[in-house]
Amino acid sequence: MNLRWLSLSVAALAVGLCCGGCRDAPGRPGAAVTRPDKVTDFRLLYRQNCAACHGVRGDYGDAISLNNPVYLAIAGTVNIQKITANGVPGTLMPAFAKSQGGMLTDQQVAILAQGVESAWGRSNALGGQTAPPYAGSTAGDPSAGQKAYGTFCASCHGVEGQGVVNAKLHTGSIVDPSYLALISDQGLRSLILAGQPQEGMPDWRSDLQGTGARSMTDQEVTDIVAWLASHRVAAPGQFYSHP
Amino acid sequence: MAGLKISKWLEHRLGFIQPLKQAAEHPTPSNNASWWYVFGSAATVLLMLQVVTGILLALVYSPSANEAWTSLNFLNHNVALGWYLRALHGWGSDFMIAIVLLHLVQVFLFGSFKFPRELTWMVGVVLLLLTLGMAFTGQVMRFDQDAYWGLGIGASIASRVPFVGADLVHLMLGGPIIGGATLSRFFTLHVFVIPGLLLAGVAVHVLMVLKHGVSDWPMPGRLVRRSTYEREYHELTLRTGLPFVPDAAWKDAVFAAAIIFAVMACAFFLGPFGPSGQPDPTIIQTAPHPDFAFLWIYAVLAFLPPSLETPVLLVVPVLAITGMLLLPLLAGEGERHWARRPVAVLSVSVIAVTLGIFTRLGTYTPWSPVMDAWSGDAVPVKYMHNRSPLEREGAMVLQDKQCRDCHSLNGEGGMRGPKLDAVASQMTEDQIVRQVLQGGGNMPAYGNALNPAETKALVSFLMTLRGHDLQPAMNASRELLRESRMEQTAGSADSAAAAPEKAGQQR
Repeated sequence: MNLRWLSLSVAALAVGLCCGGCRDAPGRPGAAVTRPDKVTDFRLLYRQNCAACHGVRGDYGDAISLNNPVYLAIAGTVNIQKITANGVPGTLMPAFAKSQGGMLTDQQVAILAQGVESAWGRSNALGGQTAPPYAGSTAGDPSAGQKAYGTFCASCHGVEGQGVVNAKLHTGSIVDPSYLALISDQGLRSLILAGQPQEGMPDWRSDLQGTGARSMTDQEVTDIVAWLASHRVAAPGQFYSHP
Repeated sequence: MAGLKISKWLEHRLGFIQPLKQAAEHPTPSNNASWWYVFGSAATVLLMLQVVTGILLALVYSPSANEAWTSLNFLNHNVALGWYLRALHGWGSDFMIAIVLLHLVQVFLFGSFKFPRELTWMVGVVLLLLTLGMAFTGQVMRFDQDAYWGLGIGASIASRVPFVGADLVHLMLGGPIIGGATLSRFFTLHVFVIPGLLLAGVAVHVLMVLKHGVSDWPMPGRLVRRSTYEREYHELTLRTGLPFVPDAAWKDAVFAAAIIFAVMACAFFLGPFGPSGQPDPTIIQTAPHPDFAFLWIYAVLAFLPPSLETPVLLVVPVLAITGMLLLPLLAGEGERHWARRPVAVLSVSVIAVTLGIFTRLGTYTPWSPVMDAWSGDAVPVKYMHNRSPLEREGAMVLQDKQCRDCHSLNGEGGMRGPKLDAVASQMTEDQIVRQVLQGGGNMPAYGNALNPAETKALVSFLMTLRGHDLQPAMNASRELLRESRMEQTAGSADSAAAAPEKAGQQR
């Protein structure tokens, strides 16, 4: 009885193998392993190099969201490629180009910059409006910045930038000297310009409602960055500054 | 009729068909026609499988450092069923080691190595070593990153031999470094030298089995004595003997067929081993590891303190092999049954559990940092919810300073250090700051790698990691200090309030 079952199941397996063929055999190996510097698949490159900080799907990471068409439209592929290659000195964005001590070839950096754009960019991301330029060109005025901050930002980030915690909002301090020591002025500007849509932060077009509703101007963005930057201190990161 | 005629003609000239037939049909005690006695023949059948698949592989494989990797990929992708052939050879090798080990354990536990089969055991030990030699040289044939770095480790082990270390490395690699000659040498070993020795050894082993007969089933209390054993065995065979073929051998045949079938199934479903990346030492994005049979050595070497490495590497194998070779000479008589040999059973259990644990550890290398976790494993989204800007920067510090390479979050990342999912419920802020800056307990100090702002950001993020919303760890003494300060403040306020009254009284 047992032997009959055994031979029957062996025969069934053999028939199955013959019908399925070896082309679809589960053990059939995939393509040969590619040299790390010859990898040209955007998804693989992104997963290995960027996903840790920018999020697996380009959002909900600890660094700025790349899955944000507004950011991609304002920054542009050239800037993103430059930042990927060289990093941002003084911040936590490392350089990825081999020439800067990273592990990626120039071609791979270009694939990343273009891949981000084609994965998450949208042709009409700015809704026909003209956004302030990616980089500011004038020096900001902190006191004007404070005023603009009061108009555009204070409702969510608190009057002094200390953050708001209530049922709807949970924003921490954006004037914490340690935070400001780790982010560049351009980083602050990019956040203001492009917002953080997943977290509910609007882009430069602001979420002002009613008659006063308007977008931020280039100068206002520059001034707000200057006001935030004025909170930087000489020796940030003190743990025991108060009893 | 014609067949019989031809066979008679051949036998008249060759003269070994009849002896072979007699050997196959030799009577064997009925009590050893058991499923426990099938491992040796299965190992031989696997050896045949390896010889056949090996010859077929050699038709395409190119044993040159430049071409080996490409020829393996050619086999995998361009030769019809080439991948299956590679898979059969690879899985056949793993099965052969497993079956040889089972055979060894069975022979040991049944006491079959005792008189008069001492030399059979010793040859068997040599056959085990040759099998492992085939596995190691075979791993080198699969000339990929694992093979390349495996060779490097083999060479650095050889270099530790006192006085002749450098010469040994030179002999092994065909030069001071892994080069063109290295693969040729290992090809020669894998295809000519070791298989030749192995086949000759198997022949001697089988001849000795035929000469002394397959050992009878051990019985508690039936002792082996040099003076009486052979007579007793002879009597047992006369009394209960069965022709080996077919009465005992059918079980061998069924088991060997099942094993071959298992090899075929593994090859079909799990495929060939590698080749992994190109064997190019300039590619540093690699985490090479040895084949299954050597994972336990890999784990042992990882856990050994540096000062013990050389003694263990050079002394333990010598002791182990000598011990195994001398075993039948030291314990050639006496009890055979496992129930009367507790030390034997205990030794096998301890060795099996030890090898099992180290092999298991070798499969996931908890000691080894995951070098690409910092850029590949994202901070879980749930840990980023409602985080302040500073805490977000802290998460970035965690990634950028490669903490993830050793510490896991949500099961992703290295296992060298403790996981951090609930670190704030286990350590206070002060303790985390100290640990980050000064290191300790196998963790390097990061004080020089972090500026104060980075440290503060990192610690403030770590302080948000409290498992399933556990209470944060508290420093009780700090709480006491705060209370005593409050009391002091209250006390001094009281005394300050009392002072004017006193002053008034004085006035």
